Amino acid sequence: MEKMGVPAAALITKAYVDLAKATAARRGMPLERITFTLHPVWGKTPAELAAMIRGPDPVTGKPMMKEITDALTVPLSAEEQKTGTQSITAGAPRFGPDTADNLQELFMNNGMTDYLPVILPTEQKIQAMLKGTSHSPDEVLRKPIQGVGYESAQWGYTVRQVAVNAVMSGCRPEYFPVILALASVGQLGLFGSTTSSSTSIVINGPIRDKLNMNYGLGALSPFAQSNATIGRSWTLMGKNLTPGGIPGDTYQGGQGNNLDYNNLVIAEDEKNSPWTPLHVQLGFKPEESVVSIFGGPDVRQGHGARGAGVAENAMFDEQISFMFGSLVGDGALVICDPLVAKRLVEQGYDTKEKLIDWLWKNTVRTAKDFRESFLAYVHLYPLALQGREPYATWYKLADSTLVPFFPRASDINFVVCGGQANAFFQVANMRHGRSASIDKWM
Amino acid sequence: MKINRRKLLSLLGMSGALLSGAPLEAEQKKKNAQGGAGSEPKITAVSPKGTPPAVSLFAMAPRLETLDGKTIYMVDTGFFGGDMLLQEIQAWFQQNMPSVKTVFRKKAGPYAEDDPKLWAEIKANGNATIMAIGH
Repeated sequence: MEKMGVPAAALITKAYVDLAKATAARRGMPLERITFTLHPVWGKTPAELAAMIRGPDPVTGKPMMKEITDALTVPLSAEEQKTGTQSITAGAPRFGPDTADNLQELFMNNGMTDYLPVILPTEQKIQAMLKGTSHSPDEVLRKPIQGVGYESAQWGYTVRQVAVNAVMSGCRPEYFPVILALASVGQLGLFGSTTSSSTSIVINGPIRDKLNMNYGLGALSPFAQSNATIGRSWTLMGKNLTPGGIPGDTYQGGQGNNLDYNNLVIAEDEKNSPWTPLHVQLGFKPEESVVSIFGGPDVRQGHGARGAGVAENAMFDEQISFMFGSLVGDGALVICDPLVAKRLVEQGYDTKEKLIDWLWKNTVRTAKDFRESFLAYVHLYPLALQGREPYATWYKLADSTLVPFFPRASDINFVVCGGQANAFFQVANMRHGRSASIDKWM
Repeated sequence: MKINRRKLLSLLGMSGALLSGAPLEAEQKKKNAQGGAGSEPKITAVSPKGTPPAVSLFAMAPRLETLDGKTIYMVDTGFFGGDMLLQEIQAWFQQNMPSVKTVFRKKAGPYAEDDPKLWAEIKANGNATIMAIGH
């Protein structure tokens, strides 16, 4: 509005002082007039809110309504009318010479690590990493752009800058095409939402075996260097290649998320899966190697052996419907052990599509429950206001009308991995974001 | 608590070289090559940071001389409670500055994105805006 010549007063709760000021600065208005309120404002009665606005701004101590009216009427200072360009530095290009221990401390104390020791990125190690791709070190994967996206400022990066982070993560040069494919999708690790959302990285195609990825016993645990370091790189890139992961500023996850250490790397077991691999479902060729990103807040586990001990017990159906009913995200990534997948095929779900269609149609809630959900209030009602379907229609339905839990069947995805030790499955409360070719970065 | 493993081994009467598994002779040769016994090798590490964009500053909009008789749009960005808070602010204006006309609108689209249709409406019909709220 300010750019359009309309004076504006921003009201923000005091939990976001640093974020609000940093965002304003990154967008080119460092002295934006912001009034802060107590946090949170939700759950308050009208009387409590009325008292709040008649009280002081908890940050400046000035009467809140006076501050708001002043924001709209007090003439601008010279600083507030300043135009021009400000350059921002990302800091020193190199550190040292110093001892390895001191550099480890320096990297950690400057927020460049995940607080685990890193492989120090020396020029020699970076050059070795760069041999893992045919692409030029100077090739730009993303240009820096001011004031767009969730982080308010998207930094840019090159193949070489990605290589530095790959080295730090402990990747071998042969993993580098995967890391570049990951970096090419745009959004990096440590998504800053208050929901503490994290990521799952799904890898398909021949690269899984070339890198000795583990998709068998303990597939989701730390039993393979490739699984471990590829996942770690996503977080380090989020911290370093963008201004992500700054608590109170670009990171607001209330409880945080332990998945951020590895980002739930899943190499799909295409050999033991009875279904089409994920990347083929998404339109890639079977012989292509592909990385897919899913985002959302959590993972939960269930048992998927229908008839295990009790022949009539439809455990998978019951459990997965129950799990879907308590998801808060807008998508589901179901991770099946091959034992579960094979059992589901025996039950008639010989394609992922059949199973997804069943789940989509049979996991429902009332339109009232949908409208009262967290996700709908904050994220989906604004889309309904834009006329986007199915939300626009769902907001017009009678309270008792049943609607699918997810807007589209394609918001549900299945992948297969595990050692066939027991018939467990996991549901990641995560939605597919983007997929990228790994082969392109060889 | 920080534990320096080399110091711990030293206190136990062992060499820090055990940490790397390197034979003592090899470690000594390495140290000598790097400038004498007892000096740790020094290395240079490259920054892992990306490239930030330059920030173009823009001038804020001229302020109003008075709010009397003006129209202020109350824009709810969609977070919980923002609508109720703005409605209380509307009530405050009605009570304390009755000549001010307030209009409540909920912004359409994802919260981090612009709502060009609403912005155009405010530009055409309003004089100022109050926008809330970050949770």
